[in-house]
Amino acid sequence: MTALHLSRRRLLATSALLPATRLSFGAAPSAGDARLVLVILRGGLDGLGAVPAPGDPAFATARGALASYAEPALGLSGPFALHPALAQLHAMYGRGEMSVMHAVGLPYKERSHFEAQQLLESGGQRPHEVTTGWLGRALAASRGKGIALQSAVPLVLRGPATVDTWAPSALPEPAPDLVSRLGMLYEADPDLARALARAQALRADGMPTAMRGAGMAGVTRPGQAVTLAQRAAEFLGAPGGPQVAVLDMGGWDTHANQAAPQGALANNLRQLDTALATLREGLLAKGCWAQTAVLVCTEFGRQVAVNGTQGTDHGSGGAAFALGGAIAGGKVLADWPGLAPKDRFEGRDLRITTDLRAVFRTLLIDHLRLPQATVNREALPGTAELRSVPILRS
Amino acid sequence: MSAPLQAAIAAHRFGLGEADLAVVGDDPVAWLKRQIGPADAQGSGLPGVAEGLRAQADARRRLASSAASGASAADTPSPTAGRDELRELVQGDIRARLLTAVNTQRPFAERLAMFWANHFTVTTLKGSTRGLVGAFEREAIRPRIAGRFVDLLRASTMHPAMLRYLDNQNSAGPRSLIVQRIARRRAATDPLAPRLSGLNENLARELLELHTLGAAHAGGRYGPWGGYSQADVTALAALLTGWRGPGEAAPRPHFDPAWHEPGDKVILNQRYAEGPQAFDAVLTDLARHPSTARHIATKLARHFLADEPPPAMVARLTEVFLQSDGDLPALYAALIDSPEAWAPAALKLKTPEEFVVSSARLLRLGQGALGRAPDAGIGAMGQRLHAAPSPAGWPDRAEEWLGPEALWQRVEWASRVADRLGASIDARPLAQAALGPRLGAATRQQIDRAADPSQALALLLMSPEFQRR
Repeated sequence: MTALHLSRRRLLATSALLPATRLSFGAAPSAGDARLVLVILRGGLDGLGAVPAPGDPAFATARGALASYAEPALGLSGPFALHPALAQLHAMYGRGEMSVMHAVGLPYKERSHFEAQQLLESGGQRPHEVTTGWLGRALAASRGKGIALQSAVPLVLRGPATVDTWAPSALPEPAPDLVSRLGMLYEADPDLARALARAQALRADGMPTAMRGAGMAGVTRPGQAVTLAQRAAEFLGAPGGPQVAVLDMGGWDTHANQAAPQGALANNLRQLDTALATLREGLLAKGCWAQTAVLVCTEFGRQVAVNGTQGTDHGSGGAAFALGGAIAGGKVLADWPGLAPKDRFEGRDLRITTDLRAVFRTLLIDHLRLPQATVNREALPGTAELRSVPILRS
Repeated sequence: MSAPLQAAIAAHRFGLGEADLAVVGDDPVAWLKRQIGPADAQGSGLPGVAEGLRAQADARRRLASSAASGASAADTPSPTAGRDELRELVQGDIRARLLTAVNTQRPFAERLAMFWANHFTVTTLKGSTRGLVGAFEREAIRPRIAGRFVDLLRASTMHPAMLRYLDNQNSAGPRSLIVQRIARRRAATDPLAPRLSGLNENLARELLELHTLGAAHAGGRYGPWGGYSQADVTALAALLTGWRGPGEAAPRPHFDPAWHEPGDKVILNQRYAEGPQAFDAVLTDLARHPSTARHIATKLARHFLADEPPPAMVARLTEVFLQSDGDLPALYAALIDSPEAWAPAALKLKTPEEFVVSSARLLRLGQGALGRAPDAGIGAMGQRLHAAPSPAGWPDRAEEWLGPEALWQRVEWASRVADRLGASIDARPLAQAALGPRLGAATRQQIDRAADPSQALALLLMSPEFQRR
């Protein structure tokens, strides 16, 4: 834990002393460099809604009206299936490019969105203990670059590393002279100065800006996800571009009417499906899909049983998706605890049998090739005991 | 501290900026304290809940009839063809919010109204609350910002917008009459029987976590907050069942015993008997809880002073909250009387809304402050008004608003406004009149040396002195 209490300056100094990592992230990357995309679904994706387990004997009873959809679910291996809105993901599963993780989650039991998201992003042991992000610290250690497809830097990317943000803009660009004078004005205000310098650098890299729509600070609306996925692929595929991109999508807190065919869950899953397919196409076109791993995860799953309003309340274990050319796809990875009340956590939630942080570790160590010691010390302290999860092609 | 500096701090840190600090007068503390009271009325003729619900119903009917007429997306000219009353209502609420803030002479009261509306967030992002958010602010929040916390809490929790936003509308006791009745109809295979079987915990959880006690770990050095368990959440959800409305038949929220879970409920070791009286009883207990006092005191100090406010000051505000039994004017007075509140360094970054509103006040745009899309600029900077991404409301820390893109959007907006107004406004005397002693030498120099009047104005709007408060 001590590394986390280091001041920002100490942490920077520490990482500067590390030997260069195996991949030279600082240099102009060839198409061979690994790429990582993290998609955060905020609000608590209902894992059993997205990845139902119709083969589990307790499934139909527990889920009631949520057990079936307007169209048939798409079959996966074992007792599992995929929500019909995830047709393109299902095709990736069939091609061996996508695997599902189930009964996965964070070691956090209190079912608060805000605390669970804080842990998901900080990689800390207790909420609010750590105020930088695990991916931000990993990037600092590997001298990598990250980008967030939203106007503010999300917690997961915060830290001493270089992180850019991008969101669509509808206004004309300000005059360069004004911007350079603002630069002088911000000499005594490092936070404003840093943000301005990064925004300028992004534009200098020739990134287009004139697109319709407005980015939100907190959470991307689902409708925007496709545009942002497209841009993420362009950033990741650009020479000298970032290795890591973070996208997020809100609207998963489905307390009511979850099964409605045009309801929030079905619509959001359709958007997610399209966004991920768009990301794949973009990265294929740039020639870097083969080196890409995409992780789609959420802060917690939802209660197993349908609630009183045909929705689901906050729970524990849920589902996550790994996709990309670097992923060993076509599998459902789950140490399945079962859905019977006696098998549930506190009698109500899908029990967590895979720590989501083990997935983070696997991606950092085996995909981005961070030294294990760096991950243990800086990115994800307290996780050294977790076994890696076999999601990557060997 | 010099009186001019104190006036500048009062106007910017506790208000929404002024074009001329003279309005603050000789006694900035008295100027602020005079403003403590209910927020200004937003004007007459603004919609209430009934109008909002009617506009929702119209919008649903229009959608259904266009679906029934078989119009596909391709041959429908535009979804906005014809008058979209609901959309106009939502825009009208935002316009009223912004114009009131731009024109008020009680900007401290307005800031408090914005603070509490954010604390008790409801949003237009949910279909069943679209059109009700302005009414929520006008009916539940604005009249009660200077009473007792428990009254504000009760009005917020009981408002139709909140009952819908956090799903209490359809939460029923698992052993309630309505659930038994529906189960019988379904057993008789009645296809029209609604699906409804029990609790929805949404309101109960956020009432504890966001509105009163706070999440256990979120308090950090300002804690402890929280102190509740999953069992408390479930029991509170059961206690809240039955509070519904309005519907077609009943115009106001009401207690429907058929939906209420029978039996006692135990919350934080207190026992509450079945029935509507438990609502007031539990809110009274929650409002008095020390975690609530710490949670509210921290949020208030964080909002006005610093992302990490001085712990000693938070402790003092907590004590005032507890001693006064949640008397909000006493809490605000304690805030203003705190020596820490007048520290010269301006640490808080304005939210996009505060930036745009204070710019409009600086430029004396008055009623003409807003174009056709009143909040487009604010939305582009990352804050879609009345549409916070979650029940936690908008974040209150600079890092959440300081992404490179978010700052760039501020520059673009300031540049556009300055291009439009630069010819008619001289930024040099304005900077002096509005910022007083807070105007630093570097900014003064940059404004003086600007290439043209528009650039000077843009530099003033984007200066650290105007971006922070």
